[in-house]
Amino acid sequence: MIRWRLSMRLLARNWQSGEQRILVAALVIAVAASTAIGFFTDRLGRGMTNQSADFLGADLTLVSPRPVDTGWLREAQAEGLKVIETLEFASVVVSGEALLLSSVKAVQDGFPLRGAMRTAPAPFAPDADTDELPSPGEAWAAPRLLTNLGLQIGDSVDVGAHTLTITRVITFEPGQVGNPFGISPRLLMRMEDVPATGVVQPGSRLKYQYLFAGREVDVAIFRNGLEPRLGPSHELVGVKEGRRAVGSALERAERFLGLAVLAAIVLAGVAVAMAARRYSERHFDMSAMLRCMGASQRDLLGLYLPQLLVLGLAASAVGCVLGWVAQYGLLYLLADLLPASPSTPRAWPVIAGFATGLITLAGFALPPMMRLKDVPPLRVLRRDMLPLPSRAWLVYGAALCAIVAVMWRYTDSWPLTLSVLAGGIALVVLLGLLAALFLLLSRRFNTHVGVAWRFGLNNLWRRRRSSVNQILAFSLTLMAMAVVALVRTDLLTTWQQQLPDDVPNHFAINILPDQVEDFGAFMEEAGIDTAQLYPMVRGRLVEINGTAVRKAVTKEARSDNALNRELNLTWTTRLQEDNRILTGRWWQPDDAGKPFVSVESKLAERMGIGMADELRFAVGEQHFTAKVISIRDVKWDSFRPNFYMVFPPGFIDSFPATYMTSFYLHKEEKSLLREMVSRYPAVTVLEMDRVIKQVGRIFQQVTLTVEYVLVFTLLAGFAVLFAALQASQDERLYEGALLRALGGSRRQLRAGHLAEFTALGGLAGLLAAMGAECLTWVLYSKVLHLEYSFQWLLWITAPVAGALLIGAAGYWGTRAVVERSPMLLLQNQ
Amino acid sequence: MIATRNLSKRVDTAAGPLDILTDIGLEIQAREAVAIAGVSGSGKSTLLGLLAGLDLPSSGEVLLSGHRLNDLDEDGRARVRGELVGFVFQSFQLLLGLTALENVMLPLELRGDRDPRDQAAELLRRVGLEERLQHYPKQLSGGEQQRVAIARAFATEPAILFADEPTGNLDNVTGERVIDLLFRLNQDKGTTLVLVTHDEHLAGRCDRLIRLEAGKVVADDNEVHSA
Repeated sequence: MIRWRLSMRLLARNWQSGEQRILVAALVIAVAASTAIGFFTDRLGRGMTNQSADFLGADLTLVSPRPVDTGWLREAQAEGLKVIETLEFASVVVSGEALLLSSVKAVQDGFPLRGAMRTAPAPFAPDADTDELPSPGEAWAAPRLLTNLGLQIGDSVDVGAHTLTITRVITFEPGQVGNPFGISPRLLMRMEDVPATGVVQPGSRLKYQYLFAGREVDVAIFRNGLEPRLGPSHELVGVKEGRRAVGSALERAERFLGLAVLAAIVLAGVAVAMAARRYSERHFDMSAMLRCMGASQRDLLGLYLPQLLVLGLAASAVGCVLGWVAQYGLLYLLADLLPASPSTPRAWPVIAGFATGLITLAGFALPPMMRLKDVPPLRVLRRDMLPLPSRAWLVYGAALCAIVAVMWRYTDSWPLTLSVLAGGIALVVLLGLLAALFLLLSRRFNTHVGVAWRFGLNNLWRRRRSSVNQILAFSLTLMAMAVVALVRTDLLTTWQQQLPDDVPNHFAINILPDQVEDFGAFMEEAGIDTAQLYPMVRGRLVEINGTAVRKAVTKEARSDNALNRELNLTWTTRLQEDNRILTGRWWQPDDAGKPFVSVESKLAERMGIGMADELRFAVGEQHFTAKVISIRDVKWDSFRPNFYMVFPPGFIDSFPATYMTSFYLHKEEKSLLREMVSRYPAVTVLEMDRVIKQVGRIFQQVTLTVEYVLVFTLLAGFAVLFAALQASQDERLYEGALLRALGGSRRQLRAGHLAEFTALGGLAGLLAAMGAECLTWVLYSKVLHLEYSFQWLLWITAPVAGALLIGAAGYWGTRAVVERSPMLLLQNQ
Repeated sequence: MIATRNLSKRVDTAAGPLDILTDIGLEIQAREAVAIAGVSGSGKSTLLGLLAGLDLPSSGEVLLSGHRLNDLDEDGRARVRGELVGFVFQSFQLLLGLTALENVMLPLELRGDRDPRDQAAELLRRVGLEERLQHYPKQLSGGEQQRVAIARAFATEPAILFADEPTGNLDNVTGERVIDLLFRLNQDKGTTLVLVTHDEHLAGRCDRLIRLEAGKVVADDNEVHSA
């Protein structure tokens, strides 16, 4: 207790003297960055889960062609879950003389369990959320059903033997998770009315859908219990699967953000280490004195470590508050991408923030602080007595442990952590060597410049270790910023170039085989270019090399959409323009009719499908096997029809197929759609123009967010600069006093400092340009497949920006050197 | 109180091993005031460091109030120092971040005293600094700083006080006053005083003078007295 009081008193005094401010500032930056991202991703993640649930209409749905064991439903209720049942079937809806094959859905009270349906009072009228359902004897219909049958609201239709009055237009229905391809227009009715229709007979093709909702844990428990008992005809869809479909762009953004935060934490850690080292060195005398007074090594640790702990906790608390505020900035930047009301924040990012603060402190500050206990007491008589330097393995080992701990939190994967770590170390070593080389060159160059520059460059060289650290810190930061800026601009430009004004923005699907020619003629007549018409056969992948597909793939791949849904199979003679064969070969003319298949590369990777594998497909009740003879790279974002599985012509042609195509429609030509739909009632048109616009916006926002987080990284870079300035402060003050005593003017000194930091910033910028050039080259050629061009502008902007930023900060940071009286300083030596 | 036998200190230098102290045998009685004198480099500070257990000899042994220092590790020696020893240094060695009062309280707090404030204030009053309790070292003159250091050294009422050139950083008049104070407190408290100095006048004020030259005892009043 007494030591604690003493320790806190020392802390208060040290704080007043400003000694620990850099250390605390660096920690605050690290914690703020980590907490901001923590809050943000947590809220985003849960917001998206909720959104997926809204989209799904439930937290979990079970689809089955037959009613499931009612025991399962009782189990769900016992877990505290809400359960409702819906039934879907295809039925011809009749209105007078007109008939239309429709997808009828019968629902119970409470539908949907999550989210809301949207309805409108008339086709193409503004729609709104509703929590109501059609009353018995009523039905709600999709706009297409009304237009195709020529109906108005209030008209009646027959479903089987029952007549229903249409009271509303349904525009959105949660739970319509099936592929939009091939949907017949929806008619929504009450479950109570189903028996009267007489449609449900033994042998009818029915789709029972059970919706479950409840607390996350309860859902998980129920799901885990149910999964092993599911049969091949059952399909479980949870929000996890839903989210995967929605959020890959955001997931990638999260990963980028994680890396930016990691960079901020590592830089802050370097600043912490430098500040702790200075703190430790300034306390050698005190430790020696305390040793003289009988303090044991434990006593010393008992004095210093509580100070460190309190500083860590206080800095973490401040960091958490700042992180909390900063997340609002992120939410604001990404407002368009996010669910309307992101879920409420939870406490764990605060815990993670404190953990980050304390781990950073332990990893970077502990080794220098531990030296304090080893100060020899003889130092009171002989000032030259120093404790042994911290062992290198301890210093780097502790820092590495801290970095790995933090990194693992962001990547959640050991291979990724270790590879990023290895890459990072290699980069730092390489940049460090280059920085040292630059310093060496600057020394050579030294004799050809004016006094101020000579003074500045000499300073850099004399403190070369610290200079290299600072150059590294800033070059890494500037490099990250440059890469993000370059990639953003280039990706957007390239993407826009790839998507010329007439990029297909509409898909027409469900074109019947006998309409193909007519449809082509219709489009030609309207003066609209269409892509090729592709046939689509709906089928499932059931076996890989004779093994049932669920057993053949990894556990993670089991929930893959490609397994849980029917795939669109197609055949074509010509490889699509934007597809590329990665391995194997494309069909030759004599391959027609042979049992071959070409598989999309990412699906192949996820499913573990390789060349020459035998894939077995089911189309309806029929099965067939094909051999993989090529793996294809597909550009999904090209907005052209694309397929996972492509077959040679003449092999699956005998299965019932519909056709699809994509085309470009200008805003003013939209009226054509109505004509198209009335002429080809079976055809469904998907409007992609909004999606295309949205993708561009998403991209801009995501990169903006990454840049926002890089500001933390830049701040951490400044923490390194100021820690280095603080470390050299005493020496600088003394030199400054001496130079002024010898007749040097303030102006000369200031010019020298300005030169020193401008050179430091310029060198950092130059290195950043080199690094960014290399990185973007790798990114463009290996990852993004963009055309690489030399970024000459970068070689000017990065060094100039570095020189200006760091020159100004350094100039400001060394102002004390000329402000203090030389007399005072020399007296105190 | 203090005894050494065959005490030697040898260090390795670039030019080969260097003997700083050779074969020192001393006995210092309780309440004795001993001056260790010699020119710069004669080994007197090294001897002080060894006697106080701040360093270990290359050979020979030191007994401090019955504790054989050679047998103790650094923490053990620190414990002995905490119980028995006080220090006054040429450079005062005050903690700049603490007030005069807090500097004096420090050894008491380390010892675990519950309320060292009054004790420390009383000591500062005795060294004439009752008006300066809340001043930081930088706000005190050299003489005042050394008086704080003396108050601190006596705070735990040590059996032995080691003083290393206590007037070395002070002018003559101030130095004289500080020494008066040191001797007065020494007498009041019945402390054994070991004082290292190159100041003959100061050395002359002690009961006994041990003179070192090139690491060897060349004169010891004790031997003269006992002879």
